[in-house]
Amino acid sequence: MEHKVVDHLFRHHYGKMVAILTRFFGLSHIETIEDAVQDTFIKATSQWRTQIPDNPEAWLNRVAKNRTIDILRSIQAEKNRNLAITPGASMLQIDELFLDHEVADSQLRMIFVACHPTLNPNEQIAFALKTISGFSIKEIAAALLTKEETISKRLTRAKKTIIERDIQFQYPDPEAIHNRMERVMKVVYLTFNEGFHSTNKEKLIKEDLCGEAIRLCQLLLKKEQFRSGSLYALFALLCFHMSRLESKISSDNQLVNLKNQDRTKWYFPLIKMGNSAMHKAMDYDDSSVYHYEAAIAFEHLNAKTFKDTNWKKVSYWYEQLHTFEPKMFTLLNHATVCLQLNDLEKTYQILKSIDVAELGQRGYLYYGCYAEYYLKKGEKDLAISFLDKALLETSNKLEREFLMKKREKLL
Amino acid sequence: MKDFMMIFIGADYQELGLSPEQLQERMGKWFAWNEKMQKQGIVKSGDALMPQVKRVSGPNRTVTDAPLIEGKELIGGYYIVQAENAEAVVEIAKDYPDYDLDGTVEIREVMVFEQ
Repeated sequence: MEHKVVDHLFRHHYGKMVAILTRFFGLSHIETIEDAVQDTFIKATSQWRTQIPDNPEAWLNRVAKNRTIDILRSIQAEKNRNLAITPGASMLQIDELFLDHEVADSQLRMIFVACHPTLNPNEQIAFALKTISGFSIKEIAAALLTKEETISKRLTRAKKTIIERDIQFQYPDPEAIHNRMERVMKVVYLTFNEGFHSTNKEKLIKEDLCGEAIRLCQLLLKKEQFRSGSLYALFALLCFHMSRLESKISSDNQLVNLKNQDRTKWYFPLIKMGNSAMHKAMDYDDSSVYHYEAAIAFEHLNAKTFKDTNWKKVSYWYEQLHTFEPKMFTLLNHATVCLQLNDLEKTYQILKSIDVAELGQRGYLYYGCYAEYYLKKGEKDLAISFLDKALLETSNKLEREFLMKKREKLL
Repeated sequence: MKDFMMIFIGADYQELGLSPEQLQERMGKWFAWNEKMQKQGIVKSGDALMPQVKRVSGPNRTVTDAPLIEGKELIGGYYIVQAENAEAVVEIAKDYPDYDLDGTVEIREVMVFEQ
């Protein structure tokens, strides 16, 4: 019999199985559980060579469950303890945890563990990508442009903290939910940005990271208690951005900026999904940066051509966003929009108020904007010198090629 | 037609720490290769082997659990296929999925004992 295995089944199922087994055996066994789940996939790659089981997911669940029990039993035998592995819980209960709604519940608990305030933000993202999204250390390192060793350390620290602090596999208390949700949304948002905005990556890695962020967001939206205007707005924002992912990279892996993207490639169903999420966000009173960012993203999608963009509206939203949460990067974006409006005076005022050090790795964009500004003013030499500064600030291949091309045109 | 054994050496997934995504991709390739050979009707048998090794050696029948064997020397599995000659098996072996992980295929003709 011929069976096809669903794309990404292993990766998605990794997170599910780790979450379920952790709910049953407790967070203190997470390392053992992760090993057991990994073993299960290795076993599957050998056994499924000749025949893929009728129900691959059930096969994986069964094998992972048995493997975990085996490992825990042998650990206990070594320790020579007489404790039962699962005090008060029967094997029947563990099977119930594999039901769909329980799986979602377990995964949500894992998201809150990943975003526990005792973990630092770097650890939170690494832990979430490993434990919930099933990325390997190597893949996380590639995705976050970090050394494998650094990721290993972050994961070790996160697990150590979880065990030392005896963090429970539970939702936070109702009064803590609001604060924790902010953290959760931030982690989802950062995960997405790692995929979407960083250019030094293969398209596949981008898609995976962005896809994971959207999946986590959908998971959170399933539960009434976690819904808010901010969460819907975040979901809308991710959908809007995601709809452009395909058009952002050309077939020869070149970065395509908004101006030159093929707008027919924008994925309409995602835009539609984003729109309806935005409407739902309006039913709530809270506001967030996600609201404003989604509004900006929508304005871009709403324009038939780059020239048709309602720059005045975009400019307005950037102003609002900056008032809501002042940030250098927002200012920079606003300056770029003022350039489009040919408001050179305002562009210059904003650029002058930016502290480039705070832009970090994105400093090159600041110099790039200055270059555009001088180009519009007709001061070619200054434009070239700012392009040179921009080139000094980025080692990113795609980004460099983009700047070089621009520079060549001016010579 | 003769019988040949293709022995797969190295590319131990466990040791290489492949991610779930990579493992699924590998599995897909193995499945496709197996299916192709099955359709050609050339597979006589084949198995994957567990990585744990016990070795018995020397006149004293010394037993060693051999983690001494490095992953790149570990035999991971085999197929017995029917083919005209070794060159034909070399062609078949070109679809082995793990060359990029430093895996090797060794091809050996199965000896036939005269009646």
